[in-house]
Amino acid sequence: MTSAIAWFVFGAITAALSLQYPLGTLRAPGSGFFPLVLGVLLMGLAAAHSIRVRLEQPKPAVAPEAAPRRLDEATRRVLLFMGVVTLSTALLQTIGYVASGFLLMLGLLRVFGVGWGASALIAAVSAVASHSLFVRWLAIPMPPGPFGF
Amino acid sequence: MLESFQLLMSGFATALTLQNLAYCLSGALVGTFVGILPGLGPIAGIALLIPVTFGLNATSALIMLAGIYYGAMYGGSTTSILMNVPGETASVITCIDGYKMAQQGRAGPALSIAAIGSFIGGTIAIFGLVLIAPPLARAALAFGPPEFASLMVFAFVVLSNVTGGSLVKALMMVVVGLVLGTIGLDPVTGNERFTFGSAYLLGAIEFVAVAIGVFGLGEILVNAAKPPQQLEGSVTVPRLRELYPSLEDLKRSMGAILRGTGIGFFTGLIPGPAPVIATYGSYTVEKRISKHPEQFGKGAIEGVAGPETANNAATQSAFIPLFVIGIPFGPVPAILLGALLIHGVTPGPLLIAERPELFWAVVASMYIGNSILLLLNLPFVPLFANMLRVPKKVLLPLIVLFCVTGMYSVNNSVLDIWMMLGFGALGYVLRGWAYEGAPLLLGLVLGPKLEVAFRQSLMISHGDFGIFVERPVSLALLVVTVAFLLYPLFKLAYRSLRPKATTPASQ
Repeated sequence: MTSAIAWFVFGAITAALSLQYPLGTLRAPGSGFFPLVLGVLLMGLAAAHSIRVRLEQPKPAVAPEAAPRRLDEATRRVLLFMGVVTLSTALLQTIGYVASGFLLMLGLLRVFGVGWGASALIAAVSAVASHSLFVRWLAIPMPPGPFGF
Repeated sequence: MLESFQLLMSGFATALTLQNLAYCLSGALVGTFVGILPGLGPIAGIALLIPVTFGLNATSALIMLAGIYYGAMYGGSTTSILMNVPGETASVITCIDGYKMAQQGRAGPALSIAAIGSFIGGTIAIFGLVLIAPPLARAALAFGPPEFASLMVFAFVVLSNVTGGSLVKALMMVVVGLVLGTIGLDPVTGNERFTFGSAYLLGAIEFVAVAIGVFGLGEILVNAAKPPQQLEGSVTVPRLRELYPSLEDLKRSMGAILRGTGIGFFTGLIPGPAPVIATYGSYTVEKRISKHPEQFGKGAIEGVAGPETANNAATQSAFIPLFVIGIPFGPVPAILLGALLIHGVTPGPLLIAERPELFWAVVASMYIGNSILLLLNLPFVPLFANMLRVPKKVLLPLIVLFCVTGMYSVNNSVLDIWMMLGFGALGYVLRGWAYEGAPLLLGLVLGPKLEVAFRQSLMISHGDFGIFVERPVSLALLVVTVAFLLYPLFKLAYRSLRPKATTPASQ
């Protein structure tokens, strides 16, 4: 049901925004015509999906005692994962490819439960190796940062 | 037909240059790695490697990307057989009997029959491509905007029907993809649309970001959510001398290989995730016609030979709609279409006539690639299998590093990485909601084409929607589309009526 509401809102926003553009006529449709059709279509599909979900009336889920805790752990790991990638991306142009690559690897290895020492070693090797592969060999201009790499 | 073979020979001359041979080999090799590594399917793998082809000419780039595609299809069987972990979706069915064979100490014959079947299926399918593509391209020249619009709607609905989940959910994903495809410049008038004043969005949503995000990062996030101890599995690496199948194995597999070729080839010509449907179709057929159906699920070699052959035949024939009418019928050809457009090549009915050197060189490279893969897969299986010893908790962060690097290199822009991260989060949420990502990608790639065809049709007909049903090809496509849309409703109605009909009898 949550997804149906989300897509209904997305469709409604699309339809509303498309009205800002010329709709034209059926003989010569304007820029807003196609997105308006899509927005309305998405709202219709989302409504159909929500009706179907209601009709199916799934039994109320009785979660086992451990489930909420497991869900929390999973969400925590996903948020940590996204946090690490977000931080290393935000710092990419400031600290350069090798340093942000090291940070990314170190953080993600820790999220996946690798020990500090091994994480640091693997992160250092992979950051240097990926710099050699992508920047030196394939000549991809990754941000150099203050240290020149 | 003779002309096709003459052109194919000239294609071989281009494909056999040292440079193109090297790209074919590296594509097949990288594709095999992509197929073997769980968590990185062919869609994300190809999307990730598109930037690597930027420095190449269009022919070499496509030879390499095609090599990655069918290499991934070959490689996917290795993890299915050795670890019960499919490297990509089309290898799921191989797990059933392949892994059972491995548990019985017959991993070698399973791997070699998968490689032999893939080679035969792929090679025969390329032969079909050579025969069918040129006449089909000539026929497709008669297509106008209404036919193309109906064809795309047909592709969306059929793909949505065969993804396995809810039809409405899949159609929603198509529409979301189409909406995302409207961001940027209006393809007809050139006006800005949904850019919110951002120069970055003027260039449209970067489809590589969507592909890597939804398929690559989304899958890795699913793995990140699992407890670390759940990530690892055990792997048995067979020795080289254990690899070869017995005469009995070959005899039992040959029929399955030939049937798998036919099923795979024709499945590749219809919209949908062709290799996945082909493998399920082949497995079902083999089990139905087998004299020993009870052996299926317990290590029947036909259960490996048929699906693996069908998988590769479908992979090759899926190039036909992409090259001939310029419309990809599945997510991987959609990625390849994006790559072709980046390289300034517009696939469609005129491709074979206007760029024969590219078309025939790519087809020839497929023959070469298939041979390379057979040579690679048999003797080097122990080597590839050893790759699986690298723990997933190390492999997955490395793949993220490659994703970030590959994404940045598309436009040398950090904004692309942010976009990828956003779509990665969306991919994770979509998995949680049990939505398929493939229809979204197809909608995004085909969105601008559909809009142009739709609006042009209305302009031609002066606003009369009748144009879509007045032309026979368009009408036929729409009739089939409606049949596909109504089929689930008929099925539902039939199911709800059946108990009522039986109630009086039972009382």
